Amino acid sequence: MSSMERIHSSQYYTFFQSDKERCFYIDLGQKLVRLSFCQLLSLRQKVWGITIEHHFDEEVNPHGLEILTLCNREHLFVLNTLEILDLKALLSDVFFVLGIAAQTPSLTSKI
Amino acid sequence: MKDIARQQMSIKVESMDMLNAQIQMEGKASASYLAMASWCDQRGYTGSADFMYQQAAEEREHMMKIFKFVNDCGGNAISPEVANINHDFSSLEEVFETALTQEIEVSKSINRIVASARKNSDFGVENFMQWFVTEQLEEEKSIRDILDLFELMGRDGIALKLIDERIKAA
Ligand SMILES: [Fe+2]
Ligand SMILES: [Fe+2]
Repeated sequence: MSSMERIHSSQYYTFFQSDKERCFYIDLGQKLVRLSFCQLLSLRQKVWGITIEHHFDEEVNPHGLEILTLCNREHLFVLNTLEILDLKALLSDVFFVLGIAAQTPSLTSKI
Repeated sequence: MKDIARQQMSIKVESMDMLNAQIQMEGKASASYLAMASWCDQRGYTGSADFMYQQAAEEREHMMKIFKFVNDCGGNAISPEVANINHDFSSLEEVFETALTQEIEVSKSINRIVASARKNSDFGVENFMQWFVTEQLEEEKSIRDILDLFELMGRDGIALKLIDERIKAA
């Protein structure tokens, strides 16, 4: 754990990299989750696949909650609308900082 | 800090997203050609049916080619969900018109990937997509040539039969 380096934080979450373990950690408040690179990619794709508009549609998603399973369903999280948006912003910044995204709207808008 | 992510994946995530969308598009094109093959087969247009079966197989190859590329680059290729395939056509000509429209949409999408890859300096992706740029020109041409046959030979029963035979030969 001592080799963990903080990469980026959003309002609710923090993202770390461990050079020694060649993996990543995401602190989701309730739990610290260890992610391999492909698990990180799959988390991003899951979050990207969420239609946030449904959270404002009483019939499709009356509670505005999203169930997120991570690492082949090893972990399960229930996130609300704001948390989903925050996680999305965090991940988009993280991929930019990690050097495999061309652009990040939220980081550049902060500068 | 080590470049762990970059060591794992050699393309940009934006490119990966677009390539996954393209996988979906090629998968849908394949299924769509299969629906056209069925329409032609059922009406005795065997030349056209063969052409459509062939196209369906080619679109699947395109899909697989991109799928492999994404995974080979360390990305996460996503198996597409294909829905809403149109099976209704009013004529043989409409089948080919639909095919051309679909190919043009694919060409546009491929051009957008190339443009975006170039903008993001993702040159490996740009280079990989060049094959598809050329392929699309050929695909559009082959269907345009078939549509020209309707202009040349007409649209009555005999003409359609002759056109269908010409397509088989092609
Ligand atoms: Fe194709
Ligand atoms: Fe095609």
